[in-house]
Amino acid sequence: MRSIPTRLESFAVALACAAVATVMLPFGCTGGLRAPLPDADDGDTAPRRGGTLRLASVNDIYNLDPAGPTDGLASQALTLLFDGLIDFDRTGQIIPNLAEHWQIEDEGRSYRFHLRAGVRMHDGGELTADDVKRSVERALHPTTPCPTASNFEDLIGYQLYTTGSAPHLTGVTVDGRYDVTFQLARPDGAFLALLALPSMRPVCATAGDRYADTWLPCGAGPFKLEPGGWARGTSLRIVRHDTYFRPGLPYLDAVEWTYGMNVVPQRFRFEDGELDMLLNPTQADVGRFAADARWKGLSVTLVDNVVWGEAMNTRVAPFDNVEVRRAVAAAVDREHLAMIKPANVSPLTQLLPRGVPGFDPSFEGQRHDVAAALEHMRKAGYPYDPATGRGGWSRPIPYDVFDQGFETSSAQVLQQDLARIGLRLELRIMAWTAWQAITARAGASAMHPQGDSADYADPSTFFDHLFTTSAIRDEGTSNTAFYSNPRYDDLVARARRTVDADVRRALYHEADEILCDEAPWAFSHGQHDYVMRQPYVRGFEPHPVWPFDVRRVWLDRADAAMPRPLSGGLR
Amino acid sequence: MRWFLRRAGWSIFVVWAVVSLVFTINNLVPGDPARMVAGAQAGPADVARIRDQLGLGRPPLVQYTLFWKRLVHVGPRDIDARTDPSHASCVALVSLNRSALHLDLGKSYQQRRPVVDLVAARLPRTLALALAGLLLQLLFGVATGVIAASRRGSWLDRILVSTSLLGVSAPTFLIALVLQIVLARGLRWLPLDGFGTTLSEQARSLVLPALTLGIYGAAYYTRIVRDEMAGLMAQDWIRTARAKGASPARVLLRHALRNALVPIVTSAGLDFGALMGGAVVTETVFRWPGIGSLAVNAVLNRDGPVIMACVIVSAVAVTASSLLVDALHARLDPRMRASS
Repeated sequence: MRSIPTRLESFAVALACAAVATVMLPFGCTGGLRAPLPDADDGDTAPRRGGTLRLASVNDIYNLDPAGPTDGLASQALTLLFDGLIDFDRTGQIIPNLAEHWQIEDEGRSYRFHLRAGVRMHDGGELTADDVKRSVERALHPTTPCPTASNFEDLIGYQLYTTGSAPHLTGVTVDGRYDVTFQLARPDGAFLALLALPSMRPVCATAGDRYADTWLPCGAGPFKLEPGGWARGTSLRIVRHDTYFRPGLPYLDAVEWTYGMNVVPQRFRFEDGELDMLLNPTQADVGRFAADARWKGLSVTLVDNVVWGEAMNTRVAPFDNVEVRRAVAAAVDREHLAMIKPANVSPLTQLLPRGVPGFDPSFEGQRHDVAAALEHMRKAGYPYDPATGRGGWSRPIPYDVFDQGFETSSAQVLQQDLARIGLRLELRIMAWTAWQAITARAGASAMHPQGDSADYADPSTFFDHLFTTSAIRDEGTSNTAFYSNPRYDDLVARARRTVDADVRRALYHEADEILCDEAPWAFSHGQHDYVMRQPYVRGFEPHPVWPFDVRRVWLDRADAAMPRPLSGGLR
Repeated sequence: MRWFLRRAGWSIFVVWAVVSLVFTINNLVPGDPARMVAGAQAGPADVARIRDQLGLGRPPLVQYTLFWKRLVHVGPRDIDARTDPSHASCVALVSLNRSALHLDLGKSYQQRRPVVDLVAARLPRTLALALAGLLLQLLFGVATGVIAASRRGSWLDRILVSTSLLGVSAPTFLIALVLQIVLARGLRWLPLDGFGTTLSEQARSLVLPALTLGIYGAAYYTRIVRDEMAGLMAQDWIRTARAKGASPARVLLRHALRNALVPIVTSAGLDFGALMGGAVVTETVFRWPGIGSLAVNAVLNRDGPVIMACVIVSAVAVTASSLLVDALHARLDPRMRASS
């Protein structure tokens, strides 16, 4: 039995708290910011070689094999370790990379690539068409845990190969040392963009033709991983690939990530110059940096490639009524929502976030209009009078949300928005894994937030699996609104089967109009990363496709000006 | 001996029951481990393939039986993962002529590495942190408790008791943050976080997390020791000891403290078991790669084999330390020896 604190004890505790606060004051607590560290200031703006770019993250990575499961964090390293046949320029257009050029024939059923000669892999070998075929077969082999394999089911021979009935993938043929052809059973307008997926990037011969967990990642990217470079659970260090095919690139000697570092130590280390960039600081820290004139111009907002919305189960009342869904789409105050986390969130009124090709800034999409929302409620048969609070949908609507800071906050904002039109949300907060299972089960969730990030730079990455009838399943569906519209299905299918960019754009635009009108989701916001950099980090610009691109970054650091490093280093 | 065997058998039963319960709960809770591995964007066919590869397509009862069958089994003495993949996730415990007793905790779904390796890498770090943390808790707690008891009612007693109240009230992350700001960032005496690469770096890295646990836990021991000793100091035999001319220090330490050790040892034993399960917050804040952070990530990712391994480590630690506590009780208190 613990004794109850006396008044004197409480006073002493208060005194001790004050003493702790006093002790911490000289050390600046967590509030004050140090000044940015100076650059070399030698007037030379030309990129120069050298230096290690040091980054950190709260999370950890589990895999660096491009054929295996990856996540956003691992992708930062994968895009530096492995180059693809194609790349995207600063306007988001597809450009040659390891492939020098290509021809699309047979109405989009055949893609013939000619590789650059003399491209050196990290193991010193020259990249050939055989490497491309071997890498693709390795990624799509039935024993490989490739999460993106089914994107390539249109390749001729895919079914036979992935069921183990054929030793090779007949749809990928080697036509010479530098020529490789992909043959599809039917046209695929997204195929070029799909080839930029990590799983399709050539890997060294040391990878063999089967996936193995013990392989040391090796490709043709601007950086390479040396033995011991990846201390699992702790850090990753990749070094410059000196024989990279683009002369002069990359500028950095190395890029180093420290994993599992809490946000407060990250900020301390960033201010002290032990980290060169700070990815996604807390909102409080964003505010501190924004309010400090010395840090002006040193923040970078990266591109939106994640869409979020309020998914409404179209099979569950009251959302089986399209007018109720329209009412919700009109009631959501997206500007208000974005204020919760302004550094990482931007209002979105349509399916495609700003960073994905096909985003149309002139398309109004869904609009916040409470009067219109009330009118939709009236049309639905549930008129609501905001003055008296009478009417609306009589029962509380369960809203399933996972337990994370932004989502639980945005759920409360939504709750207030919908209360204004007579819809009462009852929040059911749960763990991410449970939320994922419940929302993907038929009839289990009436309404929930739903997000999706772009796997590849093409509109089909969202249109195909979020809203098509074929994506509906009783368990594990990706169409969690259980939305079905034959007209929408037809538009999306036609867009996927054509290679004409203008035709595709028009078809997807029409599909987006249907979604915005019938509102299986009330689109709410796009999501992006926010980065603070030290002044000596140069050449870091948002890329329209790659969320975190440091391929052209260089360092202009005045080492004499560095403060004494924090004891212990990063390891 | 009979007592020990009975207790050991009971401990094995407890471990089995806890592990079975966790296995059941892990299978009942909604969530698809294969989906967690594949990622939210993976197609259904890809998730299904990964599910099969992970062996999750089998009925839960079959998975449960296989888990226990594989946990401890007889296999080849030399394990070569390339030539014999069926033992790739095993470690040989005891050699038996040409064969060996294997421990197999399976392969992590997420990290795709033998769980034995993951646990073996982290267990010594957790052990070091648990021992250092507990040592500091006892050092601070017993010392301040004895001083407070010996000066009961004085200003020193009030200050020590109040400070212990502060320690109990403050969450560990706050203590950790204060220590990081003052000792690491301000004075730069110790590493901010991390584990270090050399033994000396690792020793220095251990100080702040151990101190955090020490400060937090010491508060409980201060209160236990003070309250326990306050009661004991009023006993007749203490008066007798004083009357016989024993010095105040001898009375305090030899007579009162020794008798106050029973509840302290009980608490310390249970605390050690709990710390071996992982001081999750402290490990996370200080980037200390122990069992706690491994367990949290495993739960978040539904990584079944790692969850089971962490539960086994925790259950074994708790039952073993409680076995040790019982043995120590008998040593410290002759009455318990007689009753057992």
